[in-house]
Amino acid sequence: MTVEEVLDWLEEGRVSPAEAFVLFRAVEEKVELPNDSVKDNQEQLEDVLAELDALIGLKEVKQLVREIQAFVQIQKRRTEERLVTEPLVLHTIFRGNPGTGKTTVARILGRMFRHMEVLPRGHLIEVERADLVGEYIGHTAQKTREQIRKALGGILFIDEAYSLARGGEKDFGKEAIDALVKAMEDHKQEFILILAGYTEEMEFFLQSNPGLRSRFPLHIDFPDYNSEELLAIAELMLEKRQYRLTEGARRRLALLVQKGLRQEAYSFGNARTVRNWIELAIRRQAVRLVQKSGEMTRKDLLHIEAGDFGEGW
Amino acid sequence: MSLKACMIIGKANVGKTLFAINFADYLQVTRLEIEFTPPGEKTHCRSLSRKEALQELTGTTPHQTLGLQCIQIQMPGLKGKKRFSLMDTSGLTEGIPDETNIRRAMAQTLAEVREAAIILHMIDASSHGKSGAIEAMGQVDWQVAQFGGMRKGYAVLANKMDLPEAAAGLRQIREELPGHLVLPISALHKTGFAEVKQFVWRHL
Repeated sequence: MTVEEVLDWLEEGRVSPAEAFVLFRAVEEKVELPNDSVKDNQEQLEDVLAELDALIGLKEVKQLVREIQAFVQIQKRRTEERLVTEPLVLHTIFRGNPGTGKTTVARILGRMFRHMEVLPRGHLIEVERADLVGEYIGHTAQKTREQIRKALGGILFIDEAYSLARGGEKDFGKEAIDALVKAMEDHKQEFILILAGYTEEMEFFLQSNPGLRSRFPLHIDFPDYNSEELLAIAELMLEKRQYRLTEGARRRLALLVQKGLRQEAYSFGNARTVRNWIELAIRRQAVRLVQKSGEMTRKDLLHIEAGDFGEGW
Repeated sequence: MSLKACMIIGKANVGKTLFAINFADYLQVTRLEIEFTPPGEKTHCRSLSRKEALQELTGTTPHQTLGLQCIQIQMPGLKGKKRFSLMDTSGLTEGIPDETNIRRAMAQTLAEVREAAIILHMIDASSHGKSGAIEAMGQVDWQVAQFGGMRKGYAVLANKMDLPEAAAGLRQIREELPGHLVLPISALHKTGFAEVKQFVWRHL
């Protein structure tokens, strides 16, 4: 995207002056932006969808994202044909345990909507209660507005959103919810709000805030990964970093995963925990290699051994 | 060498043109040599007195200015004089306006804003916070401030300080734009102009 293109869009009425300034800043800050032509945008949309497809598991999530993509595409086409369209309300609830791919999918959605020209930037602002809730009267609304502003043109992703309802009526979390609801009215079509959290807590949260539920037409459930999926995720993470598991390391990792899955889902962090194990194993491999006497081979550098995962979790 | 531009930017009807005319007067410009550049057209010059300029170029209806209006100014200071172009621009809107001429004029403003040495961002302090939105400041002002904040020569002019509601508006503007220089002025009564002059002088 170029400055001239932004000016053309402003002149053609495709973006507002505020959105044009957002894009200007993005150009100046060298933020990742869509490429120049519609053709490139189309190609990039395909890239984004390919990235979604490459994610391990998440079959239903992928299907739903495809449905959303098709829905948006058809609504836009219907607009071109001057047919009655459904409002493009894309605020979404993500339900699932930690490490089940919620943030990853949110980022993909942002990029997808950017390429489909639903959002001008498609960036993701990830926040939690502490980023929204203040310490004195009026502070919360100010903090929440600040985050909403940052998210304009993209997605505001509130992790563990149910915690906003913590503390009851007198808690400032309610003020944050009110500010969010107001922003959804005032900035319709300018940003997408995703509320994420554990399935049960999110259900309770929506039940206790009936006004909220109707504002979120999309609900996506992120199931826990099974052991095969977690092992595949681990292999993929290692492949990206150019590491390989020895047979012994693979068995040790499989044991760790099975042990993890026997824990409460709340305390086992799914793919996030697997990533932590991988990162720990990479650090331990480095220490092992540094301490090793004799020549260090390419094979040594590539392979993670069982011992690098430690004795257990 | 072209003159450094001091651009006045802001929403429609905040008092940009009145400020440009009165600020030029404050800087001892007796007759205004104004370069008018409507979008996509050639520049033409006109010589106007302050009274004529006020009559012709200002008013209460929004979007009186639909193009760039530049006044060349020689600013006297303690250490000699500095020359610059005071650039009045078309008012920005919150959403996307239906009128093509307004959109073209806004695009022209934005094309110039990246090159301006100084950006004077004008906000109407008297009506600040009346919109009923969650934040008193609209998106366009907020985004201009974010963009301007990336530059050295950026200041907010909180205008219409002569009106009773403006004091509260000024407080709110300062709260909403922490870290930005906010200068309270009255374009009508030429108050706060000394501070604006000082700021412009420093950044030329």
